[in-house]
Amino acid sequence: MLDAGLCNYVLVSYGHNGRSSDSFLRMMADMGGDDQVFGHFGAASCYALAARRAMHTFRTGPETWKHIAVGQRKWANLNPRAMFQRQPMSLDDYYNSRMTVEPFRLFDNCLISDGGRAYIVTSAERARDLRHPPVLIMGTGQHNPASDLQTADFMTGSTGAKKAAERAFAVAGIGLGDIDACEIYDCFTYTVEITLQDYGFFGPGEGEEWFKGGTIEPGGRMPVNTSGGLLSEAYFMGLTPLTEAVMQLMGRCGERQLGPQTNTRTPQIILCSDNGGILQTHACHILRRA
Amino acid sequence: MSYDKPLPVKNPDTAAFWEGCRQHELRFEQCGQCGYIRWPPAMLCPRCHSRQAERIVSGGRGTVFTYVVYRETPHPAFRGDLPYVVALVELEEGPRLLTNIVGCLPEQVRCDMPVVVAWEDVAEEVSLPKFRPAF
Ligand SMILES: [Zn+2]
Repeated sequence: MLDAGLCNYVLVSYGHNGRSSDSFLRMMADMGGDDQVFGHFGAASCYALAARRAMHTFRTGPETWKHIAVGQRKWANLNPRAMFQRQPMSLDDYYNSRMTVEPFRLFDNCLISDGGRAYIVTSAERARDLRHPPVLIMGTGQHNPASDLQTADFMTGSTGAKKAAERAFAVAGIGLGDIDACEIYDCFTYTVEITLQDYGFFGPGEGEEWFKGGTIEPGGRMPVNTSGGLLSEAYFMGLTPLTEAVMQLMGRCGERQLGPQTNTRTPQIILCSDNGGILQTHACHILRRA
Repeated sequence: MSYDKPLPVKNPDTAAFWEGCRQHELRFEQCGQCGYIRWPPAMLCPRCHSRQAERIVSGGRGTVFTYVVYRETPHPAFRGDLPYVVALVELEEGPRLLTNIVGCLPEQVRCDMPVVVAWEDVAEEVSLPKFRPAF
């Protein structure tokens, strides 16, 4: 639309009172159809079906996911907007959180939040005169397998993440080694693992080894979900990861700012994901500092 | 005591399946052109777009493709069943059905475990295809 001259600025916004009303849970319940006959409700249980099959197909499970939940919480503890800012999480806290729908525990699940996020897209030329330094879109790709859960062959990868990233990287003309940090749509811990796996950071079953030792945490070699993400900051759909990437590249993240103060690389390029349905749609964006 | 859990809501796509269940038959439509078994039900074949279809009846045997164990549930009528198992069962004929695994403890369920249909008559005209271990 911008390229075609149909508009100069595009506002993308999301707001919801999901926590103080029951609208989110009602929406999820209405999606169930005849699955409800068997006591099957909501998205968590569908992702748990995918995660269980993954546990059967390659080496994964709580031993891998704990590093994601705990690592993201450390970022949230540095974020004054995070719902979990004041609540640290140890590996024991993760294991002790109650089982919800096995193989998921409570802390494998994202939050439901009141609030919103917004960002504005414009041309690089117009952005030059604005108050904040602009962030440039280097590449973007989408891939949407979109079939029903019963016929899904993508639960354990490749999800849409693989082809979406191939396209985004081809457009950007860079490789995985150029990425300084990731902001990944994290409705559940497993979603982070399968997305990074499909992006090529590690092979199937190598996640536990890749995550352990604080890889994604403050001070880590590949920071992931530096606001706390959907798991520990707040749930604003794909806008939680995307807006965090933009704020990090602008240098507006305060205590959690990537760079010397969190003992991480000062970010030039950040990789972002969005995901919909039960791993049925995927968008990948590569953003860089202007 | 009356049955207080949700019942299937028949629509033009699913009516034939639930009517089959009432008679303890797992009925599916198989594409008359390419042989693909349509599940979930559809008016066209998702592979070749043919409208032709023939009815087949599954033998009721398959394996657990994947499963979860509900330790909590949003629906009050299922609370007495906790913990209960929801699974995708892959039938020998191909389709994967969302169902419950019954007749064993949740800890005994495994992916790829052989299972067989176990009909549950829940209302006068409604039977649900659940599955139990096949040993
Ligand atoms: Zn066909």
